[in-house]
Amino acid sequence: MTGRFSRAKTILLGLVVGVLGLTFLAYAAGTVWVGVQDKKPGGHRILVAVPAVVITLGLELVPAASLREASAEAQPWLPAIEVAGNELAKCPDARFVEIRDPTEWVSIAKRGGSLVIDVDSADERVHISFPVRLVPSIVRTLKMSTPPN
Amino acid sequence: MRRALVGSAVLLLTAGFAAAAQDRWLHVKVVDAAKGGESVNVNVPLELAEKVLPTIQAEKLSHGKIKIEGEIEGVDIHALLDAVRTAGDNEFVTVNSPKQHVRVAKSRGYLLVQVRDEDQKSAKVDVTVPISVVDALFSGGKDELDLVSAVRALKEHGDVQLVTVEDESSKVRIWVDSKNTSE
Repeated sequence: MTGRFSRAKTILLGLVVGVLGLTFLAYAAGTVWVGVQDKKPGGHRILVAVPAVVITLGLELVPAASLREASAEAQPWLPAIEVAGNELAKCPDARFVEIRDPTEWVSIAKRGGSLVIDVDSADERVHISFPVRLVPSIVRTLKMSTPPN
Repeated sequence: MRRALVGSAVLLLTAGFAAAAQDRWLHVKVVDAAKGGESVNVNVPLELAEKVLPTIQAEKLSHGKIKIEGEIEGVDIHALLDAVRTAGDNEFVTVNSPKQHVRVAKSRGYLLVQVRDEDQKSAKVDVTVPISVVDALFSGGKDELDLVSAVRALKEHGDVQLVTVEDESSKVRIWVDSKNTSE
């Protein structure tokens, strides 16, 4: 009886450690946030948060043909995007671009390891943020799916 | 033990200063003076520009070098730059007309271009480029500008105000410093 109880405790402990480990990994990898708020009366509001690790793993599940197509389109820019991603990861937090006019405000910044893009216009407010470290891993996946010339 | 601690502290401080010295930022600020006009601020780490530029393969930009278009036949740009470099501080071009004043000069290691428009009293253009950056820019082939070398030279240079353009409708400023904001 004591042995069975002890085994149950070990399994439970293993599960807790596993969940905590996965949570830590998801937290360490960061989160992708996409928010859209329609400013019209009765307009919708969408907020999506996805752990970055899910996106990296999700790319593995995308059909190879679709990935090849996306990769072929992005091919000329992949090296630049990969290098930019690596360099941005080393950069201190900063606002890289800010455009302001009476009807619209656009900002591209790095905050706490994430690239943050905000657009606030008369019609809607859009917020996108994703961990900078996600960029090189996505580029690597796309590169691997590119058929050799 | 104390010596080791002091040694580590010196090493850390040196590394910190070295890292700080590498953080150079190119800033571009455009302000439309009209009421409700647009404003644009761009802040780019030079390190990022230096690494990304060679990877961009576009129509005229390749391996961090941009092809110059237009007629430069008959002008040996390298010989011209060599003459500018070896010459002492001097006024190379001065144009004074009733409508416009233009000045191209070399002063204290900088190439200066100044334009003043008399028609629009507030219109002025000032370009100040370190000679080392001009050298680097033209260090490639005859008909190309080596952007990566120029960025590298800018990184090694101190704070500098590169371009200011002012007229009644807008103000443009391009400069390099070690701050990551354009304020």
